[in-house]
Amino acid sequence: MSSFTASNSRIRVVETVSSVDQTVFDTNDDMPHIVGTATLSSVTVDFAVMAVQTYATGVVIPNCVFFAPYNRYFSCLELDAMIVPRESSAVTDIADLPTDEDGNTVAIDFVIVQATGVRTLAGKDPRFNQALPTTVPPKTFSFQGSVLLESSGTANGASWLRRIVSVYPSGTKLKMKVQESIGVLTRNAPYNEVHGPVTTFPHYADTRSTYSFTFKVFYGKFRQ
Amino acid sequence: MAVVLSITPSRFIASAGKLDSQRRYIRKVASGADFKFVTGQNMDVSGGGLRYVDPDGNNNDDSAYNGSFSGAAGIGVKV
Repeated sequence: MSSFTASNSRIRVVETVSSVDQTVFDTNDDMPHIVGTATLSSVTVDFAVMAVQTYATGVVIPNCVFFAPYNRYFSCLELDAMIVPRESSAVTDIADLPTDEDGNTVAIDFVIVQATGVRTLAGKDPRFNQALPTTVPPKTFSFQGSVLLESSGTANGASWLRRIVSVYPSGTKLKMKVQESIGVLTRNAPYNEVHGPVTTFPHYADTRSTYSFTFKVFYGKFRQ
Repeated sequence: MAVVLSITPSRFIASAGKLDSQRRYIRKVASGADFKFVTGQNMDVSGGGLRYVDPDGNNNDDSAYNGSFSGAAGIGVKV
């Protein structure tokens, strides 16, 4: 039978559906609720440009370069080019957590972020003249925890690039962690007898990406 | 005028409908959760790969990930 009870500092509402009692509301339970909101504008995320280098594979290419003074061909070492692997992580404080009437920081259990963002600089895949795929939707989206911003794969589909951002409470602050991981990406760099080794990453200098977000943050708790 | 408090045999309404027995208020449970609240960072990158920690706390890695991040399971709630 549906009921409402209020006793011993407890309020409880029970709804009876098809002879089954279902708790609708019970102050003895931990119920998620929002204790504060904040709007953070112009939150920027910046992923730096990649670097490239060549290296000898140890394979000798016979007769690969012609030297006129000697009127003959010479062998040379095969070169590969690689995007320099990199792991980067940066944590910044983007807001103070809410405080109570005494000025003490409220112990937040969770945050929900409603984000609107734009990629202000679309970094290119270093191999191709095209922007790195982004997973940021063009309209407002919500998330808890982390969001994948960019990724790319090798020819066989294996991941070599991931760029993510995480937003979470820690101590008295709302933190934003920006992470990038560049794994192994190599391509053969054929020797050019005029210019020497030619990079096969013609767009590596255009790989920087930047984002600008507006975050509406909902600070939540389960129990006061 | 808003109803401050209404109690009938089949329905309870308080505070102008902010509390209504015909709604389902979610609450934290130790087991049998309908869904979970994520409470912190739940992705990590390393070696060019990605680890995604799902709300149950399980690691989901792509083949390139070589890190050791451990994320926490979410907090379960029931409708």
